[in-house]
Amino acid sequence: MIRRELSVVSRASSAFSRTFSHSTTRSRDLLPTTSSPIVSKLKYFNTVTGSDAQIPTYRLLDGTGKPLEGAELPDIDEKMARRLYEHMQLLPTLDNVLYNVQRQGKISFYMTAYGEEATIIGSAAALENDDEVLGQYRESGVLLWRGFSLDKIMAQCFGNEEDTSGKGRQMPVHFGSPEHHFHTISSPLATQIPQAAGVAYALRRDPNRRSRSIAACYFGEGAASEGDFHAGFMLASTIPSPVLYIARNNGFAISTPSSEQYNGDGIASRGPGYGIDTIRVDGNDILAVISAVKEGRKKCLEQGRAVLIEAMSYRVGHHSTSDDSFAYRARAEVEDKKRIDNPISRFRLFMESRGWWNADEEVELKARLKADVLQAFKRAESLKRCELGELFTDVYGGQEPWNIKEQRQELTQLLKKYGNIWEPWRNELGKFKNKGQDLLKDANP
Amino acid sequence: MSLLKPSPRLQKLIAASVSRTSRPNSTAASPPPPDGSLPSVATSAILRTKRETALRTPGIVWADEDASAPSRIIVGGRETRKMNTYQAIRDAMSIALAKDENAVIFGEDVAFGGVFRCTMGLAEEFGKERVFNTPLTEQGIAGFGIGLALMGHTAIAEIQFADYIFPAFDQIVNEAAKIRYRSGGTYNAGGLTIRTPTMSVGHGGLYHSQSPEGFFMGATGLKVVIPRSPIQAKGLLLSSIRDPNPVIFMEPKILYRSAVEQVPVDDYELPLGKAETLIPGSDLTLLTWGTPVYHCETALHLLDAPPPELESVVPKSLRGTKVELIDLRSILPWDVETVVESVNRTGRLVIVHEAGMTAGVGAEISAEIQKRCFLKLQAPVRRVTGWDLPVALQYEKFHIPDTIRVLDAIMETMSY
Repeated sequence: MIRRELSVVSRASSAFSRTFSHSTTRSRDLLPTTSSPIVSKLKYFNTVTGSDAQIPTYRLLDGTGKPLEGAELPDIDEKMARRLYEHMQLLPTLDNVLYNVQRQGKISFYMTAYGEEATIIGSAAALENDDEVLGQYRESGVLLWRGFSLDKIMAQCFGNEEDTSGKGRQMPVHFGSPEHHFHTISSPLATQIPQAAGVAYALRRDPNRRSRSIAACYFGEGAASEGDFHAGFMLASTIPSPVLYIARNNGFAISTPSSEQYNGDGIASRGPGYGIDTIRVDGNDILAVISAVKEGRKKCLEQGRAVLIEAMSYRVGHHSTSDDSFAYRARAEVEDKKRIDNPISRFRLFMESRGWWNADEEVELKARLKADVLQAFKRAESLKRCELGELFTDVYGGQEPWNIKEQRQELTQLLKKYGNIWEPWRNELGKFKNKGQDLLKDANP
Repeated sequence: MSLLKPSPRLQKLIAASVSRTSRPNSTAASPPPPDGSLPSVATSAILRTKRETALRTPGIVWADEDASAPSRIIVGGRETRKMNTYQAIRDAMSIALAKDENAVIFGEDVAFGGVFRCTMGLAEEFGKERVFNTPLTEQGIAGFGIGLALMGHTAIAEIQFADYIFPAFDQIVNEAAKIRYRSGGTYNAGGLTIRTPTMSVGHGGLYHSQSPEGFFMGATGLKVVIPRSPIQAKGLLLSSIRDPNPVIFMEPKILYRSAVEQVPVDDYELPLGKAETLIPGSDLTLLTWGTPVYHCETALHLLDAPPPELESVVPKSLRGTKVELIDLRSILPWDVETVVESVNRTGRLVIVHEAGMTAGVGAEISAEIQKRCFLKLQAPVRRVTGWDLPVALQYEKFHIPDTIRVLDAIMETMSY
């Protein structure tokens, strides 16, 4: 074991030095900026497979949970399988409650992960728990897998005083936790992609994490159209940065189908253009996702540079609670997908075939998860928001600039004057811990 | 971003231009000819060309001393070396890398020394893992730096010209500036410093001349710093690198070679968010930063002792005017206290910057000063800025707020 780790280290470090050394062209027949062979036949090409075929999709289980012929299943025991299944089921349970809660106006916004349970839970399980994760917004399952509690999930969505992700400052589903190595989600799409390269380079420079940790960066196929996708892939391939890029290709970016997002062979076809090892995987097959992510992670560490996984799935839910997806796709199409290609039932069938699961356990699990989620929901609902003064903190580290200090004092004076008589403020103050008294007690006389 | 990205040829052109315009004058008494963009930088009294004055730079804090000990000014026992601005910046980065194993420098063409030579020899000295080229992507450079900073590392990124910082605007404004706030203080990009050459250079045209500091002034969570000289560049850059917030550090590129000082060789810092009063006065406050500091200094000479060709336009009554010259140094947060104190004494304010007027930094400062100094103001706050136009190549002398425009604004404000 030790020997193997050492060899990984030495391979990784040779990759590091290769990057920074200049390659020289050996043959006179080659052009100075490429090692491309010379041909005299005129031929354009438009595929990375070289045969006009599409990049294949890696799958281990068929729709009935049966292993495909020749499939090498990842090493998963009953205990692990049950844990995977429970987390896959937890996602829609949580999504159902929070989606409905949003519909009742109790939280302002929500985004479900329906249909992507295998991609999210499978990849989470295949990563090490201290790999640095930079997500888009549909990956809260990774946090749940790592032990981020339902209370913390609720606290963020409600923006209450227990919100450790951001003190109630960001919209719901913008989770984050350094303890769980999960970088705080932000709304601007794809910004995390070049950031992940920097995170990975830092891991590479840290003697304690070099050869042990990678950065895992998630994004949707729509976000891959942003310039930051191009930037991040170039950086992580030219500067040795072990990032595992996981593209969730669910067919839609809000209303835009992927056919209007790109004209090439998905996202996977781009990886080789950047010199990045790439695979396309059936994102509804959790075992295939686990194998692909484990192997991708290993490649990241060995080569010290980026690897790409394109996980193909289908966004069963609406884009968000602000979207009605039946305005741009048929309800029947969605129902078909849910029935025919369901990641959860596929894995359940696999487990049942092994004697690891049965109908009674299914009923018990669903009831238990629902009770847990509702309990966390009720608790979160009863909590106050942070103190109002948190509106003004954490903008800067170190000394607070004069303008922020003065503006906080200005709000304080206004609160003294209007806080009790201006109803919109009076009502709102009641939702904050200490009702704004933290500001008022510091007020200048 | 641009094909004009400084080829060695452009670099030579810039160097040649600087040396043309910075020829020393034979006598200190006669004012420099008001023809060039920087007629007086070589003879500027603002530059500290002697060891003793360099070591007495106001606000200097030696970083090798115990911070908790009482501050003291050491003159004996400290060395200085003659450096121009790019050498001082290089010196600062060398110290930052030597003292902080987690510090790295990256950007386009930094490995061979940079197109303005600010990173000369650093890759050789500290290794290519710590000083390295990136692909040509500004949004990528900023994003990569944020990633390093998220992990607590010190990221010193270079954007080759401030004109090309706009592709990184999203990463800087939506990400770097907001990470600490949006994460409830659990993550931050405080380890990030973005250095970028700024302001006009004589022939930079639209995309090698811009002064985009105003675009970042509203990006709370960032700091924006612009030095005027080698001593300032080193001290402010070391402070910026060590500040717990992301900092945009804009280096006036025409000063890279033309401004020369005796720079302390030790590790020292100068405070961010603090303006510096360069020339005390009681009649008018002249506020500026970066390159125009020298136009302003020259304008004060012309006001005091106009050459024969200007005698007719400079009234004798104004020749003894005591103008207080302030270098703002930090754009965000800016030093409201120093400026207000000065304007309350002088009753008049002229703000000079190269960027266009509309919604420029001068607009913000004017509004705040008229609010705070309303009863003391004896004339409207005057702004001398680039016109609200792109920087047109062959028209630069008529675009920038040069010496004569500063002189005119001072006289107009004094006789209001």
